[in-house]
Amino acid sequence: MLEIDRLEFGYANGKAPTMQFNLSVEAGEIMSLIGPSGSGKSTLLNLIAGFLAPRAGQILLDGIPIGTECVTSRPVSIVFQQHNLFPHLDLYTNVALGIDPSLHLNREQTAAVSEALDQLGLSDLQRRKPGELSGGQRQRVALARVLVRKRKILLLDEAFAALGPALRAELIGLVRNLVRDNNMLALLVSHQPRDALLASARTAFICAGKVIALEKTGDLLDHSQLPEVRDYLGSI
Amino acid sequence: MSGLNSRAIAAGLVLAVLALIVLAPMAGLLNLSGIPGYEPGDLRFWQSAYIRRVLFFSFWQALLSTLCSVLPAILVARAFALLPDFPLRGLLLRLFALPLVVPAVVAVMGVVSVYGSGGWIPLGRSLYGLNGILLAHVFFNLPLAVRLLLPQWQTIPQHHWQLGEQLGMNAWQRWRFLEWPAVREALPGVLLLVFMLCLTSFAVVLTLGGGPKSTTLEVAIYQSLRFDFDPAQAVVLALLQLSICTLVAILTLKLQRLPEVEITLTSDLKPVTIRQNSLNIMLILVAGVFVGMPLLSMLIDAFAGPLWQVIGNTTLWQSIGNTLFIGLSAAVFSVGAGWFLLQYSASLSLTGKTGKARLLDLAGSIVYVVPPLVIGSGMFVLLSPHVDVFAWVYPIVITINALMGLPFVIRSLGPALRQNHARYHYLCQSLSLQGWNRFRYLEWPLLRRPLGLAAALATALAMGDLGVIALFGTPHTATLPLLIYQQLGAYMIPQATVTALLLLLLSLTVFWGLERVIGGKADA
Repeated sequence: MLEIDRLEFGYANGKAPTMQFNLSVEAGEIMSLIGPSGSGKSTLLNLIAGFLAPRAGQILLDGIPIGTECVTSRPVSIVFQQHNLFPHLDLYTNVALGIDPSLHLNREQTAAVSEALDQLGLSDLQRRKPGELSGGQRQRVALARVLVRKRKILLLDEAFAALGPALRAELIGLVRNLVRDNNMLALLVSHQPRDALLASARTAFICAGKVIALEKTGDLLDHSQLPEVRDYLGSI
Repeated sequence: MSGLNSRAIAAGLVLAVLALIVLAPMAGLLNLSGIPGYEPGDLRFWQSAYIRRVLFFSFWQALLSTLCSVLPAILVARAFALLPDFPLRGLLLRLFALPLVVPAVVAVMGVVSVYGSGGWIPLGRSLYGLNGILLAHVFFNLPLAVRLLLPQWQTIPQHHWQLGEQLGMNAWQRWRFLEWPAVREALPGVLLLVFMLCLTSFAVVLTLGGGPKSTTLEVAIYQSLRFDFDPAQAVVLALLQLSICTLVAILTLKLQRLPEVEITLTSDLKPVTIRQNSLNIMLILVAGVFVGMPLLSMLIDAFAGPLWQVIGNTTLWQSIGNTLFIGLSAAVFSVGAGWFLLQYSASLSLTGKTGKARLLDLAGSIVYVVPPLVIGSGMFVLLSPHVDVFAWVYPIVITINALMGLPFVIRSLGPALRQNHARYHYLCQSLSLQGWNRFRYLEWPLLRRPLGLAAALATALAMGDLGVIALFGTPHTATLPLLIYQQLGAYMIPQATVTALLLLLLSLTVFWGLERVIGGKADA
């Protein structure tokens, strides 16, 4: 289980108000995070990944604090909306970097890369460069790298925002399988309520740097009485 | 439509004048049979050991200068990129912009005063020859290469740095997977540009060359015309120079992409270990000292020199007048020609004729293919049988200097003018905002800053030129760079240093003044 306990963050210039997050995600769960732009969804993911340093609070995985670990050793994989792949490297190398950035792979690791590409339906394309792929295929490659990294926490920062509805649904299905089969947990930031419905049993609504609602996804989207939620959903 | 027609006519006129300036001297050069001392079928010049030696030295010094400038520049640019909060960063990047404005002969004086036999760090017995040429070329081109390469780090997406961090890449792996691919994209263009600048460098080789052993094509052309009175040899050398420049220009075009010079860089890059930080700081400081020291040393020497004696000399004031007249006149023609070419090129881009627009921009950069000294030699050969070329010094020097400034005008004014045109052209048409009113209410307020920069660059370049003026200048028509060269030739080193200081101050004042007067206040 991932626990975010009174995790505080503020920018050094003091222009934006301090954010404070409290949240827990069960193993095997994909929790969606929705909320207006600038509310702090991506900031929360960056704090968990270690790209930003919190002022106070804890990040616990199965009761063990991970917030003090450096980015590299955190049990986290992240997929962004774009720039997940290095454009000058082929798909195989992009995935292999997830195992060892020096690319000295043993036979087992080489097989793991091929298997991951195979599992995501990319084995025929492994020598292609990212520029030769569609947007959906590129995100599949990023997921293949998540697979070989074998990290417990998966962060998806609007990872499917640039894709059409059918493709988004397909990739969310892949993420669900990935999380279930590998006993991971995931946080999905999205602006699409439909994504939250497809991916998550529970969804958190973040506003002004705080989780102001955490409910079953259907309840939050259909019946929430909170004015912030109604305003947000009304504006979509 | 009438607006488009008037733009086409203006650009057509500029193109016709450009063609005349370039093609007429070419005709003079290619008409070998008309040149005294040359007989048809005569292979003497082509087989001459002197020409072979000149050719070899031109390439050799250009190659070494390019490698010595660009390879360290990669490390320095990387250090700047990875230290966005380094306290001296802004100041040092501004210092690195100075060699773009400092006249070559001034830089030479600085290099001599640091590394010459009586300098702070004397290098061997004599600085004259390959050593001196290399040092001066690196002084000019290392900062240029740093400024051209630095923006490449900004093209690396922030997410790639984050991924690199998450994947546990070390410094070498980050260089290999993130930084090198970005640098590699700009590197061939930068290498070729620096190579071309060193290959066609005139003032540095003329002042630091040190005899026939260290002569390049450009200097050999000048010597053939002014000292050996051998126009046939000058023509052969000019044709060789023309062929090489054409080849390099074609290669550059093939590579297409040359980054814009950029000094601002905001980034969230997070380096690295304390050891790597210290190394980067050291690299930046060493490069800063290398670029700053010659200028500082020259300033100190000049203030300790015969300042009042030089200032009291009437020749100096005559040269200052000539320098300002030639510099400002050339800038007026450069900016005017650039403006009309760019206006039509922007119109063509807007109607989807991007190929033609690009050709028009390239026409303005013809001086990269046909170097000023080659044009000058052509004019010399063409005109000398009919008129006294030395009496025509002002129109000839102003014309060729205007041509030299044109690529700088196109590069500094082009992007803003094109953007302006794309954004507001249709609005202007719908409001019938044309001609003077369009200039007054739209173009002047929005384009005065790049216009100011373009004018300042073109003026500084013409004021510092020691190529064409050396070919056509006389004691009465000498500019400050030529005066410095004459003083150096007469071993009046202290006087030359003072004159170099005055030229530097004049160039910087005019540059700053034009930027300020035309461009307005920074926050305008």
